[in-house]
Amino acid sequence: MEIVVFTKRVPVTQEEELRILGDGQSVDLSKLPHRMNDWDNYAVEEAVKLIEKGGGGVTSVAIGDSESDEVLRRAIAMGARDGFLLEANEVLQDPFARATLTYNFLKKENMPFDAIFTGVQAEDEQFACFGGILAALLKIPYAAQVIGIDAVEKDHFVVRRELEGGLQERVKVSLPCLLSIQSGINEPRYVSIMGVRKASKVERKVFKASNYTDSGKSLVEITKWVYPPKKEGAAMLAGDVGEICSKLFAILKEKGVYQ
Amino acid sequence: MNSERVLACMQCGKCTGSCPEAGKTPFNIRMIVRKKQFQRAIEEDLPWYCTSCSTCTIRCPRDVKPSEVIIDLRSALIEDGRIPASIQKALESTFVQKNPWGKPRSKRAEWTGKVDFEIPHISETKERRLLFTCCIQAYDPRCMVIPANVSRLLHSAGMEFGILGEEEACCGNEIRRMGEAGLFEELREENLANFKEYGVNEIITLSPHCMNTFRKEYGDLGIRVSHYSEVVQGLLERGAVKLESRYEKKVVYHDPCFLGKQNAIFDEPRTLLAKALGTNSLEFSRMRDNSLCCEGGGGRMFFDVETTYQRNSESRVKEALEMGAEVIATSCPFCVMNLEDPATEKGLSVKEVSEILVEVI
Amino acid sequence: MSDVLSASYVLVVAEVRRGLFEERNLDTIGLGRLLGSPVYLLLPDNASGVDASIVDKVIRVGADEGNFQNPLTMVSILTKVFETRGQPDFILFTHSSSGAECAAYAAGHFSLPVITDVSGFDRPTGTFSKSYYSDKVFAQFKSASSPSILTVRSGSFRDQVTRNQATADTESLGAFTAQEGRTFLDYVEEAGGAVDITKADFLLSVGRGIGSKDEIPRYEELAQTMKAVLSCSRPVVDKLWLPKERQVGTSGKTVKPKVYLAMAISGAFQHIAGMKDADCIIAINKDPEAPIFQYAHFGIVADVNKLRDKLIETAKAS
Repeated sequence: MEIVVFTKRVPVTQEEELRILGDGQSVDLSKLPHRMNDWDNYAVEEAVKLIEKGGGGVTSVAIGDSESDEVLRRAIAMGARDGFLLEANEVLQDPFARATLTYNFLKKENMPFDAIFTGVQAEDEQFACFGGILAALLKIPYAAQVIGIDAVEKDHFVVRRELEGGLQERVKVSLPCLLSIQSGINEPRYVSIMGVRKASKVERKVFKASNYTDSGKSLVEITKWVYPPKKEGAAMLAGDVGEICSKLFAILKEKGVYQ
Repeated sequence: MNSERVLACMQCGKCTGSCPEAGKTPFNIRMIVRKKQFQRAIEEDLPWYCTSCSTCTIRCPRDVKPSEVIIDLRSALIEDGRIPASIQKALESTFVQKNPWGKPRSKRAEWTGKVDFEIPHISETKERRLLFTCCIQAYDPRCMVIPANVSRLLHSAGMEFGILGEEEACCGNEIRRMGEAGLFEELREENLANFKEYGVNEIITLSPHCMNTFRKEYGDLGIRVSHYSEVVQGLLERGAVKLESRYEKKVVYHDPCFLGKQNAIFDEPRTLLAKALGTNSLEFSRMRDNSLCCEGGGGRMFFDVETTYQRNSESRVKEALEMGAEVIATSCPFCVMNLEDPATEKGLSVKEVSEILVEVI
Repeated sequence: MSDVLSASYVLVVAEVRRGLFEERNLDTIGLGRLLGSPVYLLLPDNASGVDASIVDKVIRVGADEGNFQNPLTMVSILTKVFETRGQPDFILFTHSSSGAECAAYAAGHFSLPVITDVSGFDRPTGTFSKSYYSDKVFAQFKSASSPSILTVRSGSFRDQVTRNQATADTESLGAFTAQEGRTFLDYVEEAGGAVDITKADFLLSVGRGIGSKDEIPRYEELAQTMKAVLSCSRPVVDKLWLPKERQVGTSGKTVKPKVYLAMAISGAFQHIAGMKDADCIIAINKDPEAPIFQYAHFGIVADVNKLRDKLIETAKAS
C-alpha cells in the first residue's frame, strides 16, 4: 500500500503572546520555535503502522520553506520511506490555493497512492479544509476526523469518524481515498535525536512550488489581523447558590456539552 | 557500553539493599543486572522506576554502575520509540522549548520580575559569574521564589552575577538519565557554546541536578561550578551577608541525593540553617549519604509509576512529625515539590534553605 | 464582490444527529439572518424538532442523516439545489466534524471560496473573522466570489435568530441514494469499561479539596447527570480515591476538552500543564486566591461539596 502523508511545520504558540505587526498586516512569528503539526504526528504514525503491518511505503510531503525539511526528517525517522518538499517561500493562506498546488504536483509527478492522509487541521490556521478540497479535486472519497481505521481491504477501508459528545460514525470508504486523521487515533512513537540524525541520511527531494501553481487561484484573502477582545482572568460568577447554578448550566449549554 | 560491566556483578545485593524503590515496587536492580548478564528481556516499564539516586552505583563493590545499566535500558526503549507518554512529552518539550515542562523559552527569565533590582545578562557583567536558573525554578510558581531569594542574597552581599535568560537551555541532567543521549548532547552543546561565547568563569547553580551534570558530564569546563549553598556560606562567613533575626521554627534538614551523596555537599546547607536557627537543625535517622531519596530524580517528575505504595516523601513527613519538627528544609527544588504535598496535608511546611535565609536577613 | 445586503438566498445546511436538530444550527441560522434574507434550511429526511418559524424556507432532502452528511452525497444534493433554485450567495455549515467535512469537500468540488470557524462578521468591510493560533489572533477574511462556503462557530450568532410570524413552507428536493465511494454504516458510542479521559468533551475534575473518598460517589452522580467524565488531580490518585487513568497533569494525561470543570482543585503547575488548552475552564474553589482562577475562563468561589449537591438537585429538577 502506498500512502502519501502531508506534514506541516508550524510555530509553537501555546502560552506565547502574539504580536500583530504594522496596522494589522501580519503576525510576528519570528522568535517562535517550530515543530511538526501535532495532528500530522498521528497521521504519519497511522500510515507507518499500516505499512508495517501490510507492506508498502509512506511518502511524506511538506509545503513550505526550506526549514520544513525538519518535519520531513521527523517523518522519515518515524518510518516514512521518502520525504518531498514542495518549496514555497510565501505562505499560502487560502486552502484552495494550497490544494490546487498539491493537485497539480501529484498529477504532474505521477505520484502513486492508495491513500492520502492529512492531519485534521494545522495548529496555526485551523482551517481543516486542505484535505477535503484536495480529495474533491482528485475526485476521490473523503473522510475527516478519522479516529480509527477498523478494516483495511484491497479496495476499501472501514473507518470511524469522531463526532461530538463521544459519538462516532462508521463509514466504508473506497480506495484510493483521502483521510484526515484525528489526534488520539494512536500513540505516535517517540523520535529520538539519534533517530532524526539517521533520517538525515535519506535524501529529501525538493520541488519548486512555482512549477505547480495556477495563477490567480486565491479565492479568499486576509485583509487584516486583529486581537481578540481582552480577557481579564476568570469571569467570576456571583449570586446565591441557585443563581450560580443557573449561570453555570447556561455556560455548559452554550458550549454544547449539556442540553 | 555497560555490557561488559554487568559481567563483573557478583549478585551481592548491595544495590537492591540500598535502592529507594526496592521492596515496595516491582523494581529490583540486582535482578535487572542479573538478567542483563544473561541477556534476558526486561519488562518495559521497570527501568522507569529508577530515581537516579545512584546509591547502588556508589556502593557497588564491583563498579558495575547499575544506574548506568538503567540508563542504557532506557536508551534502547527510546530508540525503539516505546516509552511512557508523559516521558515522551517531557523529552519533546525539551527539544522544542529547551525545558521539559513545555513552557515557552521566551518566558524563561520572567522570574526576575519578582526582585526589585535589575539582573543583568551575563554578557553585561564584569566578573562573568553565571547564575544558572534551572527549568523548574524558572517556570514553576512554587519554585520561582528560589532564584529570586538567592538573587537577593547575592545582591545584598554585593556579589555581581548575571543570567543567560532566554538563552539558557535545560542542563540535561534528567534528560541524560531518561536515556535520551542525543538530546543531552544537543543541550550540552548549546549551553557550552553560551558559556564560551560569554566568557563565563564561574557558575552558581540553584539545583543540585544542574550542578551535578555541569561538574561531571560537561567535560573539562575550566569553570568553577558551585551550588549556591557553598557560595552563600562563604558570604556569611566573610560577613558579606548578615542575619538580622532568628528563624524560630523547629527545622529538620533533608539531604537531596544529587547534592549530598552524589556530590558530598552535606555541611554547607546545615551551616546556613544553623546560623539562621541559632542552633543545629534536627536530623532524620537516614541522613547525609544515607538520606532517603524523595523519588523526584531520574525522570520521576514526569512519570507516575503504576504501583501504589507508600512514597518515601510520606515516610519522611511521618518521621518529621514524630520528632516534633514544624518545617522540613531542603536544598533541591525536586525534593521541595515531592515533600510538599504530603507535608502540607499533615500541617508541616517545606522550605528550600534560601526561603529560610531570606526571612532572617 | 457580493453585495451582502441583496443576497439571493442563504442556504443553511442543518446538522441533525440521530434525528435531532442540533442546537449549534442556531448559530448558522443566526449568521444567515445577518447576511440577508431569505434563509433556506436544508434538512435530511429524518430531522425532527425543527422550528420552521426561524427560517424562510425549508428544503427537505430525500436522504436520512447518515447519507445526508456524507460529503459525496452532499455535493449531489447541492448540485440539485443550485439547478432548481439557483445559486445562493452563501452556503453555511456548522463548524463541526461533519459540517467542516462537507464544507471542504463542497468547496473543492464546486471551486468555491471557503472560510471555516467563522465567529464574527463585519458588515462595513464584508469580512468574516476567523480564529488563528487557537484564538490568540483573528484574521479578517474576504471572499473573492459568490457563492462562498462558511462554517460557523457554535455560540457565535445565535442571538441573531429572529422569528417570522408564520412557519416556513417545506419543499422537497427528491431522493438521493447512497454514493459509491463512501457509505454510512452506523453510529458507535464510546465503549464502556476503561475510561479514556483524553477523549471526553466535558470533564468534571476533582481535587484534594473535596475532603475525603466518601465524597466521590456524589461527584460520580454529578458527572453522570451532567454527562461529564470524571477526572482528577494527582493527590486524588495518590490517596487512592480514584484510579490512575483519571489523572490529569504532567505525570498523568493531557486533556483538551470543550469544558473542563475543576472542582476543589487549587491549580498546581503540574496539573495546569495537563489541561490549560481546554476550550472553557470553569473553576470552583473555596479559596479566592487559588492559582487555578488565573487560568480559568469562569470562576466560582464556593463550598464545593455544597455547590455540587445543589447542581445535582437543579439538574435533576429540569
